[in-house]
Amino acid sequence: MSSIKQIPVITERKGNPLARVFDEFVRFCRSRSLFILHYCTGCGAIELPPAMTSRFDMERLGIQPMVSPRQADILLITGYVSIKTLKRVILTYEQMGSPKYVIGICSCTVNGGMYWQSYATAKKLDEYMPVDLYIAGCMPRPEAVLAGLQKLMDRIHSGEANSWEDYFRNYDYYLGNQQKLFGENWQTPTDIITEAKHYDLIDEGTFGKHTQLLEQHQKPLEALDMRLGHDLKEPTE
Amino acid sequence: MSQELTHWLDDLLEEIEGIKVRRKSGRRVRADVPADTLPALLELLQGRAGYIHLSAISCVDWIEEDEFELVYHVWSYESHSLVSAHIRIAREPGVYLSVYDLYQPAGFFERDIHEMYGIHFEGSPNMEKFILTEWDGPPPMRKEFDSEAYVNEHLSWQEYNPPWLQELIAEGGGVIIPPEEQRFSRKKD
Repeated sequence: MSSIKQIPVITERKGNPLARVFDEFVRFCRSRSLFILHYCTGCGAIELPPAMTSRFDMERLGIQPMVSPRQADILLITGYVSIKTLKRVILTYEQMGSPKYVIGICSCTVNGGMYWQSYATAKKLDEYMPVDLYIAGCMPRPEAVLAGLQKLMDRIHSGEANSWEDYFRNYDYYLGNQQKLFGENWQTPTDIITEAKHYDLIDEGTFGKHTQLLEQHQKPLEALDMRLGHDLKEPTE
Repeated sequence: MSQELTHWLDDLLEEIEGIKVRRKSGRRVRADVPADTLPALLELLQGRAGYIHLSAISCVDWIEEDEFELVYHVWSYESHSLVSAHIRIAREPGVYLSVYDLYQPAGFFERDIHEMYGIHFEGSPNMEKFILTEWDGPPPMRKEFDSEAYVNEHLSWQEYNPPWLQELIAEGGGVIIPPEEQRFSRKKD
């Protein structure tokens, strides 16, 4: 019953009414087939095996673990994010295909948790990438993880979970925070601005002084040489 | 058997000049030695007493005494006992000899200590960055490094009661149990 109530009622109808039905259908399907990529940075990862396996059984919600970022929908970050890890998390996030959702599990992703005064851990994950949902706790029980995932499903269904668009719309803000931490020469192998143009998500916040700085020293991205076999040279003596 | 071994070890350790041996239990010996005799002690322990396993090198920063303390823990698989050799070196310039030629794992421990405390080990094969590969600040485990000041300068804090937390509390989530009710020691009947 509750899910029926949550379907948004749109009073104003223009154009083809079937288009909205189709959107609704797409969102329904999307929210019921989610693949998670769990980036297990800290202790929260230990709550995921019971959440996935027979006792709490995440798969009955249509959520399954996935092996590669390019095939995943949700990025689960389960614990403290050290600055060294954060670089890898950002690379992983940028490789994921849109739409993509980020869930920060544990207190550490919210405010640094027990590592609040550590020089090596980032304190706020949502400064560096848009976070859809936090599941706070130290550590949250599998029930809490499942409740969080269900909430994300509801949000995807109702169309609220669109923070991945925010990364393209406010790229300058996120890039600025990344540059503050990693230095001015920070560059990822993903061209976000071209991707933003592809998704038609260019906004005021996409460009700014930080993206200008990136353009100044950006090395052009080249396609990888695709070829079979090894290209190992003989060691010269 | 173990009694014989301990006597034998005590006799052996007496050969080192300036050594202070304290037996903490049947299988743990603490030895304080001057810094320049440590290689001789380790060579003796390894060659004649079977302490072939260097399990760790630890470092303590005694900033008030202007000294670093290095502790070499060596383990014997024959007598199942641990000898901890303590030395003190001056904080400035913070240079000591490597024991890599005696115990090869020391290369890793020394590299780690070099990264965290800035002590340079002469003769160690590699003094490159080890774990903090992307760190360019001062050695972070030294006592004069203020971690909190670094965090204040480089990172920003989460606000105390962000809107999304208020939403959670309104829905019945979040921390709504005050510590007085949660901790059994403070609980009132």
